[in-house]
Amino acid sequence: MGAGVLILLIICGVAFAGGGIILSWAIAKRSTNLVKGEPYECGIPTSGTSWIQFNVGYYLFALIFLVFDVELVFMYPWAVVVKSVGMVGLVEIVIFMFILFMGLLYAYRKGALKWM
Amino acid sequence: MNVATILFYLLSAVILGGGLLAVTSRKIFRSAVFLLFSLIGIAGLYFLLEYEFIAAVQIVVYVGGIVVLIIFSIFLTHGSGGDMEKPVLIRAVFSGLAAILGCALTYLFIKEQVFIKSNAAAIEPSANNIGSQMLSTTEHGYILPFEVVSMLLLAALIGCIVIAMKVKTEK
Amino acid sequence: MLLMQIDWFFLVEKLSLITTILLISLAIAAYATWAERKVSAIMQDRIGPSRAGIFGLLQPLADGGKLFFKEEIIPTNANKFIFIFGPCLFMTTALMTSAVIPWGPSFEFAGHTVSLQVADINIGMLFVFGVVSLGVYGIMLGGWASNNKFSLLSSIRAASQAISYELAMGLSLIALLMLTGSLSLREIVDQQHGFWNDGYFTWNFFKQPLGFFIFLVCAFAELNRAPFDLPEADSELNMGYHLEYSSMKLGLYLFAEYINMFISSAVMSVLFFGGYNYPGMDWVSANLPAWVFTFSCVSVFFIKIIAFILFFMFIRWTLPRFRYDQLMKLGWKSLIPLALVNMLITGGVILWLTK
Repeated sequence: MGAGVLILLIICGVAFAGGGIILSWAIAKRSTNLVKGEPYECGIPTSGTSWIQFNVGYYLFALIFLVFDVELVFMYPWAVVVKSVGMVGLVEIVIFMFILFMGLLYAYRKGALKWM
Repeated sequence: MNVATILFYLLSAVILGGGLLAVTSRKIFRSAVFLLFSLIGIAGLYFLLEYEFIAAVQIVVYVGGIVVLIIFSIFLTHGSGGDMEKPVLIRAVFSGLAAILGCALTYLFIKEQVFIKSNAAAIEPSANNIGSQMLSTTEHGYILPFEVVSMLLLAALIGCIVIAMKVKTEK
Repeated sequence: MLLMQIDWFFLVEKLSLITTILLISLAIAAYATWAERKVSAIMQDRIGPSRAGIFGLLQPLADGGKLFFKEEIIPTNANKFIFIFGPCLFMTTALMTSAVIPWGPSFEFAGHTVSLQVADINIGMLFVFGVVSLGVYGIMLGGWASNNKFSLLSSIRAASQAISYELAMGLSLIALLMLTGSLSLREIVDQQHGFWNDGYFTWNFFKQPLGFFIFLVCAFAELNRAPFDLPEADSELNMGYHLEYSSMKLGLYLFAEYINMFISSAVMSVLFFGGYNYPGMDWVSANLPAWVFTFSCVSVFFIKIIAFILFFMFIRWTLPRFRYDQLMKLGWKSLIPLALVNMLITGGVILWLTK
């Protein structure tokens, strides 16, 4: 029944958010002119587009994040049973993490974790 | 028709509609948003099947990881807000054909496959069972794949650092 | 025929629970804005809101009402679909986490057991972790769609910050998970029953102080609260990702931020501070009527939540903002290794104790 309740919650959330926007759209006064639609930056006309190319540094962090995210997901089932599995489980995860720790060390030494 | 069936069709509509819009949308950022919908729908299907662990993994890895990466790579492009140009007709025709062929092939495989009804008791797909299977060193344990996965992740990590650092130093 | 198959009691129960939680989170979010202004005023030796009602208590209502009547401006160059979709998504994800939080013990009502939890899915902790990672989309999409340089900078800052601190958060949760052995939030709360058992505290905070500290820092970062409020640094980025927003869409962003704070306070008290458990609850449950017990549990839970919200506010008005490189350094080079060490120590101690 979990899925049904979650969908119910999503519907309620969307109805709430959408309802607020629609209500304010219905009762608020509107007027429009050219200046109003301009980006709110400094007062003088903006130069160039805002959708520019970004520094690759951000992307690098996202890539490293993804690898560790997958690692985390593998560690969750391990953590649940570590009590019953005992010593073997700890040794297994230490090997698993050691290999990944090498990766973090590599990233560190290569300067990938250095901001800009 | 019971509630579960209705939910199934609802979620399938979200998945297929999201996928279709992601492919056909002219704006690349909008495609990413539709892909997000599609992936969330798949997580919903897992919830419906009560494979809750897999559903959470779907959310954590695909919805919360891969799509973030996709959006970051859109940020890396020039003019992420503009419309993409219309594809050449011949390319559109061929990709349509490829899609239809893929569908037909999948359908054929599913139709040909004889599903044997198993008499073994179903294993509850809880995190506990997954964990103890994963760590077990007996004949049917998955400890070797588990350790190999870490090697795979290490290779992926080093690969992406090498590629991205190359771009970073060039700039 | 279809109508017969739905468990109507179940549906009504869940729907009313969801509505109640929605209204309570709204009320708490509204009064959190008031409390924030009061706290900042007291800390800066000012009076704060005082005109609307006694102590300015009607101020949130006035603010909320005003937002509805404000004119809605969508920038000409914005991507309209995503511009409207962003705040809706942010609000929905903020509310999603409330699904797995056990707000109180189950009680009997009209022959049914009513559970004060929207969905008791047995991987609750992983669900929280997943929905937290979804929260970044609202900011990222809204900031990008505004087509404003400040907003775009803010959205990408927010995204990088969120994903960096998510890892440390996940790792600190794993150390906790090794102790509890279960991902279900209901079970985690039940394990922390009472306050003192077998010669030791039952609350997880006393077993995982370092884990709690890491989780707390990550919660600050995920919520974009000071000292981690770089995405909306008002002195650098003009409020960042909701710079172009106006009217109720801005309201949704602001409300959702406070709802996020409310929900993460709830998650913290469930995971580390025993949720609705309090010292002497067994005595109350044995000697007083059932409804008193339920009511006291829920109140204790809300007192804990409000304490956390106030703590968030004190920190915000005390500490200055980080620089971005310091933020990344703290996340990747301090918190993640610290969380790994915490995990290994926890593992060692567990094995040593079970021997």
